[in-house]
Amino acid sequence: MSIGSSERRARASAPIVALGVAWFLAVAVGFLALWIYKTRPGAEGGAVPRQWPAASRIHPSAGRPTLLFFAHPRCACTRASISELARLMSRFQDRLDARVLFAASSDDEMKTDLWSSAQRIPGVTAALDAGGGEARRFGVETSGAVILYDSAGKLAFHGGITPARGHEGDSFGRQRIAALLEGAPADRADAPVFGCTLDESRPAQLAQADHK
Amino acid sequence: MSSSVQSIDAINAAADAVVRRADARFDAHRQEIVRTTDRMFAWLLVAQWLFAILLAVTVSPYAWQGKEKTVHVHVWAAIFLGGAITIFPVALALLRPGALLTRHVIAAAQMFWSALLIHLTGGRIETHFHVFGSLAFLAFYREWPVLVTGVLVVATDHFMRGILWPESVYGISNPEWWRFLEHAGWVVFIVVFLILSCRRALRDMREMAERGAELEALSENQWRRSSVLDREAAESGRR
Repeated sequence: MSIGSSERRARASAPIVALGVAWFLAVAVGFLALWIYKTRPGAEGGAVPRQWPAASRIHPSAGRPTLLFFAHPRCACTRASISELARLMSRFQDRLDARVLFAASSDDEMKTDLWSSAQRIPGVTAALDAGGGEARRFGVETSGAVILYDSAGKLAFHGGITPARGHEGDSFGRQRIAALLEGAPADRADAPVFGCTLDESRPAQLAQADHK
Repeated sequence: MSSSVQSIDAINAAADAVVRRADARFDAHRQEIVRTTDRMFAWLLVAQWLFAILLAVTVSPYAWQGKEKTVHVHVWAAIFLGGAITIFPVALALLRPGALLTRHVIAAAQMFWSALLIHLTGGRIETHFHVFGSLAFLAFYREWPVLVTGVLVVATDHFMRGILWPESVYGISNPEWWRFLEHAGWVVFIVVFLILSCRRALRDMREMAERGAELEALSENQWRRSSVLDREAAESGRR
């Protein structure tokens, strides 16, 4: 092949190569945007009570730690948190009382596939948190938030148990809870929560309209 | 020039012709494999795109804020990011099948798809097998540099995330310095076998091309000899 023809070929393929580089960068930027979204924690609520709140209508388990998991019944991101809870319970179901509280207006609204998944986990009780009242009492605003109280009713951990929004896998939160249940000392007792906002403060008429 | 020297030249020329013929057969076979694989990947990329949209719409259609719902970012990611990943390599596969750049872009796109599917399925461990399946599929090209492109995309993704958000790769925020070697090791494990298999397949193709070229040359010689004999028989018959 002559030098002239190879130069012509190189010149002809230069725009395609440039297009290839532009494509690679565009896709990389897309992934970066997706990653920023997935690693942005949900809204933080008020302070989580250090002791089990007396105003709560639910009661801590006697003699063993109680884990509260707050969930929005339709939050797709919480599916990963439920899977992580199942992993945790497969190791600690005998040492832990776990309750998943679904912030919803009624049983019908609560009974979604997430509720079914939560109910199927051995050692877990799924219940309605009417109007999100308990979530507010425990200072929780984001679906997937977990609060662990020790057997004396003292706060041991609060936060999320996924590494990112709607993303399964080992996370600081799950490892922290596992370590606490195994008797390790707590050096940090919080983790970011990734999920939908539980906000139940919208007017009832609007809520009903959405539900139709 | 003596007749023995003439016959050696003739043998050398015949051998060169066989080598050229073998090279041509090998190149044609290789090009056919590459073009067929480009087309297979074009279909696969489009199928993955449709699957991703279906997955996002089914599994995570909405994000919620209390009672208020908005279309989930996964749906937009499946449509637009999935589209961006797919359209360029598919266009190359259709417009420039067999070109070097086409298969390298396809390799990168396939690895991007692994990453996007892992995101869309919420990081399910099962979806990570897509990486290994894709590498095996890329070995259909029978070219190890294509596998290297695929591995580089996976490695860059892990490296960047390992720096920016180590928990997403290793599950802990302060992994040991050697932790990436454990992940890379498993990818290298499969890639080594795939590269060996590519080299073996190429060697087989080369052997097939050489054998085919020899057979072709032999049958041409036979044909030439028989046509000389036919001509001589016809001439002696006329006499």
